[in-house]
Amino acid sequence: MSRALAQLLARVLAVLALCAVLALLSDVFLTRGNIVNVLRQTSLLFFLASGLTLVVLTAGLDLSVGANISLAACVAGTAMKATGEPLLGAALGLGIGAAVGLCNGLMVALLRIPSFIATYGMLWVLQGAAYAYMAGQPVYGFPRAFRLIGVGTVGGIPVPILLMAAVLALGSVFTARTIWGQQIYAIGANATAARLSGVPVKRRLILVYLLSGATTGLAALIFLARLNSAEADIGGELTLPAIAAVLIGGASLFGGVGSLFGTFIGALLLTLVLNGMNLLEVDARWQPFVTGAIILAAVWIDMRTGRMFAARAEKGG
Amino acid sequence: MRRTLLFAVLGMLAAAGTARADGETVAVFTKNQTNPFFAAERVGAERAAAAMGAHVIQYVPTKPDSIPEQLSEIDDVVVKKPSAVVFVPVDYKAMVPGVQRLNAAGIPVVNITDRSAGGDFVAFVGASDYEIAKMTARRLMHALGGKGKVIILEGVRGALTAQDRLRGFKDAIAENPGVTLVASQPGNYQRLQGMQVMENLLQAHPDVDGVLAANDAMAIGALDALADSGHSAQVIGINATREAIDAIKAGKMLASGDYNGFLQGCIGTMIALRAARHESVPKSVALPVVVVDKSNYQPYAVPVEKRACPKWEDVPQH
Repeated sequence: MSRALAQLLARVLAVLALCAVLALLSDVFLTRGNIVNVLRQTSLLFFLASGLTLVVLTAGLDLSVGANISLAACVAGTAMKATGEPLLGAALGLGIGAAVGLCNGLMVALLRIPSFIATYGMLWVLQGAAYAYMAGQPVYGFPRAFRLIGVGTVGGIPVPILLMAAVLALGSVFTARTIWGQQIYAIGANATAARLSGVPVKRRLILVYLLSGATTGLAALIFLARLNSAEADIGGELTLPAIAAVLIGGASLFGGVGSLFGTFIGALLLTLVLNGMNLLEVDARWQPFVTGAIILAAVWIDMRTGRMFAARAEKGG
Repeated sequence: MRRTLLFAVLGMLAAAGTARADGETVAVFTKNQTNPFFAAERVGAERAAAAMGAHVIQYVPTKPDSIPEQLSEIDDVVVKKPSAVVFVPVDYKAMVPGVQRLNAAGIPVVNITDRSAGGDFVAFVGASDYEIAKMTARRLMHALGGKGKVIILEGVRGALTAQDRLRGFKDAIAENPGVTLVASQPGNYQRLQGMQVMENLLQAHPDVDGVLAANDAMAIGALDALADSGHSAQVIGINATREAIDAIKAGKMLASGDYNGFLQGCIGTMIALRAARHESVPKSVALPVVVVDKSNYQPYAVPVEKRACPKWEDVPQH
């Protein structure tokens, strides 16, 4: 058993432990309805965090994802409202998301602006553009065909969950099984060594930020379809939870470590906390405190068991 | 061509400059650029000022509800010395020193919407969160026939508006012994959270009859959660936003308490200008509570840009 696998197993165990506690305390937690509910809520955070995971793998950070959602959702939403064309809206949302990602990538790879600063600047540019564009008014009521990607089901499973499974599967194959994926890990582990061994570092960095922008655009579309409304600060509060999901999932800010499945687990954990508090009707005053306490406890369990598994794995050979 | 354009722009700037120097200006402070309530308030202020031959300069923090930004905007205004100030504090306690700076500069200040904890004001214009919440909740109790299970979606814990609205909801529920409050959870005034919290609560309480949301954004989120999961319940919200009015019109939502930002912007600015002109003004204006439902939504379906401010004689005076 490799060290990475051991830690991933520990992470799954931490989530299972939380689930066990919730199942004991609430008799509706383990119902099919609630499980579907939790996964659907997880998907929003996961889309946002999936591209971000690749950025973190290269030892970078993308602070613009929340603001990117705001602008992409607002432009796509108003376009659909004006024309009634779901495809135009989808193209605009994905296009803006990816274009912003490309700009971030160019700033980081070519202009060598540190990613934190480049994407922090981008955050303000995007948020400002969204405020100016919307002028304080929300846009709502989108075509039914478009809303299906948020509220529709296929074979009884909500579309966002299916999309999440697809992104998770394709993304995992991409990062773990392709040369490009391996090069992304190599850049994060040691950029100089990667460059010397022939990895086209600049092009891969641009790709990574582009993908982060594209998944953010996808997240914006699912958001729009789910909420049936967009306003200028729709994504503002999502950046920090998305970064938290990536890091709780085991990625390192120093790069080279992490996986999409880990990020999924991180997003699931954050969603379970809210679900659990609602089901158990934790007093509103205590919810922020409980949120923090559960996250810290889960990460602690994860680290303890991860170390234990890893030590056993090394002893075993 | 380019030079003509440049001169045209310079000419316009000069015209704007002289107009501003001649006429009175009102500096209007609101909390953020995201909440349509404050957008309506700004439109109301512009309307009232235009009708009285004055100009409005809007001050809105770029980061929503930012205390340091509003404080630095106040410094800016103290230097520019407008005729009067219409003021919504981003935080009712933290902005008191800022208000004192305006007082020291001798600029008349009218406080609207959120009552400041300190400082000197010409007048206060606002609506009572407690009364709005209680009256709107009573509309729901009536629709439920005084019995059933209800859920409250609270605003941001610690915010004054959220506390008062929660109290209003709970008092209306307490008047109806047949109504049980099965859960009261925070959705932080956010649509997404309102929806997700409602989805979670529906797992435990699929038989809920009514939802009391502390604002319309959460109410609409709750409506979506109900519709997506095939449940139905009567939903009320607060603010009478366009979207809520549409939902009321379509029969999806029961009612929304009107906080009337447009009127607050109008009346606040009218009082500010009257004070600057040394005319008589009321010390406080409490707007009457209106619960908007299917019977009276029509006037609210008119966009704020097309509404007119009331005449001074029609302003409720206390």
